[in-house]
Amino acid sequence: MATNVKMGSQVKSLLSGVSDHGDRHLIEVETDLVQMNILLCEAIKKLGSSFMAIHGALSIQQETVNLLLSGGTPAPECIAKLEAIQGEIGQHVNAAVTGLQFQDMTSQLIGRMVKHLSGLRDVFGALDTGSTNVLPESNHEDIVTLLNSLNQMLAERSVELEGALRRAVNQRHMESGDIELF
Amino acid sequence: MAKTILAVDDSGSLRQMVAFSLKAAGYNVIEAVDGQDGLDKAKKQTVDLVLTDQNMPRMDGISLIKALRGMSSYQRVPILMLTTESGDDMKALGKAAGANGWLVKPFDPQRLTEVVKKVIG
Repeated sequence: MATNVKMGSQVKSLLSGVSDHGDRHLIEVETDLVQMNILLCEAIKKLGSSFMAIHGALSIQQETVNLLLSGGTPAPECIAKLEAIQGEIGQHVNAAVTGLQFQDMTSQLIGRMVKHLSGLRDVFGALDTGSTNVLPESNHEDIVTLLNSLNQMLAERSVELEGALRRAVNQRHMESGDIELF
Repeated sequence: MAKTILAVDDSGSLRQMVAFSLKAAGYNVIEAVDGQDGLDKAKKQTVDLVLTDQNMPRMDGISLIKALRGMSSYQRVPILMLTTESGDDMKALGKAAGANGWLVKPFDPQRLTEVVKKVIG
C-alpha cells in the first residue's frame, strides 16, 4: 500500500511538473514567434518603401542625365558608360526584389511553428488534466490504465498534427525558383 | 493599351514586388489579398492574365482557378501559379484545375516578365 501511495504521488508530480514547465516555455516561444513575425512584416514594409523611393529617385536622375545629354553631342564612350550603369542598376534591382521575398517564406514557416507549438501546448494541457486523475491512493493497475490512455491520446494528437501541418515551404535559399509552362 | 494582370497573394510584400516588376514592364496590375478577393475582383473586371499564390486564407489558389474556369469569361484567360510549393503532386493538381504554368518563389523580376510576355505578349 505504501509503495502504491508513493508511486501515485510521484507520477502525479511528474505529469504536473512536465505540463507546467513545458507550458511556460512554449507560451514564451509562441509569444516570441508572433512578435518576430510582426517585426519582420514591419521591416519588409519599410524596406519595400525605401526600395521604391530609391528606384524613383534613380529614374528621375536618369531622365535628367538624358535631358542634359540631348543638349549637346556626348562622346560615344559616355553614352556607353551610362547604358552600362543603367543595366547594372537594373540587375541590382532585380536581385533586391528576389531577396526581398524572404518575408513571404519566413512568415509561412513561423505560422507553421506556431501551430506546432500550439499543438504541443494542447498535449501538455491534456497531460495536466490526466494527472488530476491520479490520486495518492491510486494502485498500480489504475496508474497503468491512465498511462495507457495518455499514451493513446498522445499518439492520436501526433497523427492529427502531422496531417494538419504539411510542409509548403522547402526552399533553403533565396535564388529564383523553377518555371514550368503547361 | 496596356494589358491587365490580377496578382493574388496574401503576402503584402510579395504583391508589392509582383506589382513593381510587372508595372515596370508596362502592365496594369490589380492586387487581391486572397483567392476570394481575387474571385470578387475577377468578376468585376475581366483581366488578361491571373497570377496567383496557392496557400492563402479563405480560398487557395487551386480553388480560385477552378472557380475562374467555371466562368465563361475566364475559360481562355491564362492563369499562372506563383507559389512556394514545388512538389509534383501539387503541380499536377494545379494543372488539372486549369493552370497554364507554375512558377516557384522566390521569383526573379526579369524571368517573371519574360514568362508573362511569352504568355500574353
